[in-house]
Amino acid sequence: MRNRFIVLLGAVLVLLGVSSGCHAAGKVKAVATFSVLGDMVKQVGGDRVDVTTLVGPNGDAHVFSPTPADAKMLAVADIFFVNGLGFEGWMERLENASGFTGALVVASGGVKPLKMTEDEGGHEEVVTDPHAWQNLANGKIYVANIRDGLIAADPGGKELYEANATKYLAAIDAEDKAVKQAIASLLAARRKIITSHDAFGYFAQAYGLEVIAPEGVSTESEASAQDVAKIIRQIRAEGIPAVFLENVTDRRLLDQIAAETGAKIGGVLYSDALSEPDGPAPTYLGMFRHNAGALTAALSS
Amino acid sequence: MTPRPAPAITFRDLTLGYDRHPAVHHITGEIARGALLAIVGPNGAGKSTLLKGIVGELKPLSGSLSLDGLTKRDIAYLPQVIEIDRSFPISVFDCVAMGLWRMIGAWRGLDARGREDVVGALHTLGLVELADRPVGALSGGQFQRVLFARLLLQDAAVILLDEPFRAVDTKTIAELIALIERWHGEGRTVLAALHDIDQVRAHFPDTLVLAREMVAWGETPKVLTPANLARSRQLTEAFDAHADICVRDEERERETA
Amino acid sequence: MIDAVVQPFLEFAFMRRALVGCLAISLTAPPIGVFLVLRRMSLMGDAMGHAILPGAAIGYLLAGLSVFAMSLGGFAAGLAVALAAGLVARSTVLREDASLAGFYLVSLALGVMLVSVRGSSVDLLHVLFGTVLALDDAALLLIASIATVSLAVLAVIYRPLVLECFDPEFLRSVSPLSSPTHLLFLVLVVLNLVAGFQALGTLMAVGIMLLPAVAARFWTEDVSGMIGVAVATAFSASFAGLLLSYYANVPTGPAVILSCGAFYFLSMLVGVKGGLLWRLMPRKHLEA
Repeated sequence: MRNRFIVLLGAVLVLLGVSSGCHAAGKVKAVATFSVLGDMVKQVGGDRVDVTTLVGPNGDAHVFSPTPADAKMLAVADIFFVNGLGFEGWMERLENASGFTGALVVASGGVKPLKMTEDEGGHEEVVTDPHAWQNLANGKIYVANIRDGLIAADPGGKELYEANATKYLAAIDAEDKAVKQAIASLLAARRKIITSHDAFGYFAQAYGLEVIAPEGVSTESEASAQDVAKIIRQIRAEGIPAVFLENVTDRRLLDQIAAETGAKIGGVLYSDALSEPDGPAPTYLGMFRHNAGALTAALSS
Repeated sequence: MTPRPAPAITFRDLTLGYDRHPAVHHITGEIARGALLAIVGPNGAGKSTLLKGIVGELKPLSGSLSLDGLTKRDIAYLPQVIEIDRSFPISVFDCVAMGLWRMIGAWRGLDARGREDVVGALHTLGLVELADRPVGALSGGQFQRVLFARLLLQDAAVILLDEPFRAVDTKTIAELIALIERWHGEGRTVLAALHDIDQVRAHFPDTLVLAREMVAWGETPKVLTPANLARSRQLTEAFDAHADICVRDEERERETA
Repeated sequence: MIDAVVQPFLEFAFMRRALVGCLAISLTAPPIGVFLVLRRMSLMGDAMGHAILPGAAIGYLLAGLSVFAMSLGGFAAGLAVALAAGLVARSTVLREDASLAGFYLVSLALGVMLVSVRGSSVDLLHVLFGTVLALDDAALLLIASIATVSLAVLAVIYRPLVLECFDPEFLRSVSPLSSPTHLLFLVLVVLNLVAGFQALGTLMAVGIMLLPAVAARFWTEDVSGMIGVAVATAFSASFAGLLLSYYANVPTGPAVILSCGAFYFLSMLVGVKGGLLWRLMPRKHLEA
């Protein structure tokens, strides 16, 4: 009797082992909501993880509308990486629609969020600024969360994930120092920019840059004449030297402001999305390198 | 004996209709220049259809219709008032002035002479006091007078009237008939589709009794007999949804084949 | 008080440009709107906003986010829909509203499918539809040229157009200009709408075309009078809307349209021709 029980227990254990082994034998299917996250997951996951991104290069996650194909992709995924902090307004709907049963990792877990005021038609609304990745220190928290999430879903890859993460964190540290140096090298009076998308709150706070935006947080709200007038007055009053474009919004409003104030149009700053692989900001760190370069180029003269 | 005047409009075995159903069926005849012809028949007899065919709005289903020496520009047509938008903000004066289109076209302004002509037409139809009123503020009879004033200015050789006296008061009818008789005196060819047999008897020398096919055509006293009128009422009014191909056409094809 | 009204325009170039743009569009769009209203084609503006999508999508697929390519494509698509609808209405049993609805819906669906092909979630229409506060030289030039062309064409086809609306059968019987006039008018509508979308955004473009025209009906019973009132209304509302956006910090497009709307309600109440107030108040009747 006891012998049969031991055999049964052994069989169950073997089955469990085999099934978990089967799970680890194929790649981990990960879905990331947008390109910045996608890049990070790739860096930490390496060859063990197959990452698909919902909002691709140059995409606008604020106005993204998921398709049935996206829901299908999510349904078979093992792990779903989201930014959180209200960045993905459509996320819950997609999760419910797809019937996703895997693990959800909120990359910004543990990040100290910044608040921002949004001017909504006359009265001010305080919302959470979701662009936490724009501070490389937060980026390190993201990486840690991603690493832990991958390990939990795929314990077999623990060593690989930890090794990749450590390497990546070091690279982030180095970039963090480089950006701080670059901004510090500018004259204090010139560390101000205008950009059309209110995505650089964390960057501004971390690296000592003052960022002013003519529109609200998302790309949908329409500007009022008063908003535009205020920005122009501010640029004139404080001698802000440069206007930056962001890769998801209409540049005509910025052109107008630049023309009227004589400020320089300093190129494109990447914030919510990476560029294409052959573009100037194909990775998370590449984005910072590009942005820091563009900023110093416009503000140093 | 004076030779009959050259015909203005000729029908040769004419069939007109909608969607292959004939509303006017195998009509042959001539309308002389300067004639004053009434077209009578019950509802659905094809009176409007015949006028539309003359003006060119309908192409013949078979047979032919020719306007000898006349072009579309020589014809003035007053349809039963369906397509006009009475709520449109246009004054009586401007509406009547449209009658001078042939003279001034789309772009030339209305000169003094033109204005005089318009005022003259308004006088003839008793509309001078209403000149600045919007067209939508008029009664049925007044509006009909506006349309006649416009016709007057068109100065056309052939005038086609489709039920011109429907929903119009008696006094106005009398004035309009006077105008028609004046046109006849000027040598214009006038055709009018009418309902009121007494009017026809009193004022129209020639009549065509139509009930899809020609029942009778000629001088009014000879044609407007009770027998003819009864016959016209008997002929079917409605389209027959299951009608076969016209027998006469098939016969002719067999003959010529 | 005068100072408060004038000062924003003195201080800011963008306000001046916005005003000039509004003046141009106020000259060209309301007259067309008057005819749209009289021909009962008022909802065409909205339909056009959707109909231009496949053209803009094709422009985007061929040339990327080029405003010029997308506007050109949008104009072509809008024109195709308008002309097809116009021709169908004239030669079949369908009337203009039904034929237009048919074509614009097909066009919109086609556009949505084309947009999804590329897979990019950049919202094309955000780029295609502008705002009056961001009128660059190209946009101002576009509106000004379209205004000039429209006014010239309208002056030429004025009489046939009026007759086309009032008594199309009569026009057909005296002139071959009936169809060309109608089609030329449709071209003007699409031209003004597409230019308006590009420069001002959908709401303002359609609104400024129609609202002043609708309000004008309550003040005069004469087409040229309606045009005059509509143009004056459009320009005053633009001016008021810009100031409202400046002082009350509200988005400009809606501010202008709401100003038009306010005048519309006012007209409905106290307009000399058919205003509700006059109908409720008993007045002595005239001699004749």
